Amino acid sequence: MERKKKTGEIAVQDIALIGVMVAVIEVSKAALAFLPNIELTSFWIILFTLFFGWRILLVVPAFILIEGVIYGFGLWWVMYLYAWPLLALAVWLFRKQESVWFWSILSSIFGLMFGFLCAIPYVAIGAADGGGLIGGLTAGFSWWVAGIPWDIAHGVGNFVLMLTLYRPVRAAMKRFSFGAASKVSSNN
Amino acid sequence: MENKSKSSKKVILGVAALVVVIAALAILYNVFREKPVEGSKSITIEVVNKAEESTKYQLKTDAEYLRQAMEEAEGLTFSGTESEYGMMVDTVNGETADYSVDSSYWGFYVNGEYCNYGIDTQPVADGDAFSIVYTAE
Repeated sequence: MERKKKTGEIAVQDIALIGVMVAVIEVSKAALAFLPNIELTSFWIILFTLFFGWRILLVVPAFILIEGVIYGFGLWWVMYLYAWPLLALAVWLFRKQESVWFWSILSSIFGLMFGFLCAIPYVAIGAADGGGLIGGLTAGFSWWVAGIPWDIAHGVGNFVLMLTLYRPVRAAMKRFSFGAASKVSSNN
Repeated sequence: MENKSKSSKKVILGVAALVVVIAALAILYNVFREKPVEGSKSITIEVVNKAEESTKYQLKTDAEYLRQAMEEAEGLTFSGTESEYGMMVDTVNGETADYSVDSSYWGFYVNGEYCNYGIDTQPVADGDAFSIVYTAE
């Protein structure tokens, strides 16, 4: 018989769940590594936030940390520090939405704007390099523009993946009857 | 029923907005991306071989000296021996002029006058016309 959790308590179950979530994201990432800018990380962070709520607060940092350990702590890692939490926050704000189209469009916009988000450290670098704010903004802008084709691929990829996977994965997740998943309404 | 048409309207609007964003990004990219910069100096290099056939190369370059400009000229190949004065060219476009064999050499001219410098130190100015002429004495 499970006892009721006290407020703020993290159960062993939650820890295991968080671990599996991070693993799912990492494996998905490795599986799609050969397709540049096509990724399931956005997809999983969106779905995990919707289904497992507060646990995403531990999933995202764990994911970012492991990414740094695997791939090295470069400038890209700094971008990860704010980009993925931002996505989780956006998802949380719209957590009542259930339309596959809504989430496909949101995921797509995140993908399209990923380069823009990632340009921020370059603004700082450009400014620090002696260019001042204008120099920084110019550097960031140039970097962003150069990557736009990749952002478009990213946006389209996110859209297609969410459109295809939202309903089946959602249905599968609903079968987990404990905790947050059961709070999701049952209309498809 | 009305609810369904309302939501499908929203879907269409949403997807349309997405397409607009993608189009805007594509336009931004085409307008603002860094285009490869053309060199600023217009020069010609003419190669006259043993059979007195002439091949002209026109290029825009930022090269400071003739050697780099020759390297940039598409279709022009050359080689030679390196010395303290730079390269002494003995082969141009596959044709070798060996002074020790038949007193032949490749003569370099700029704007009609004999070059006073080796290709590593011959300056390139805008409008220069270089000639590389197979010469047999």
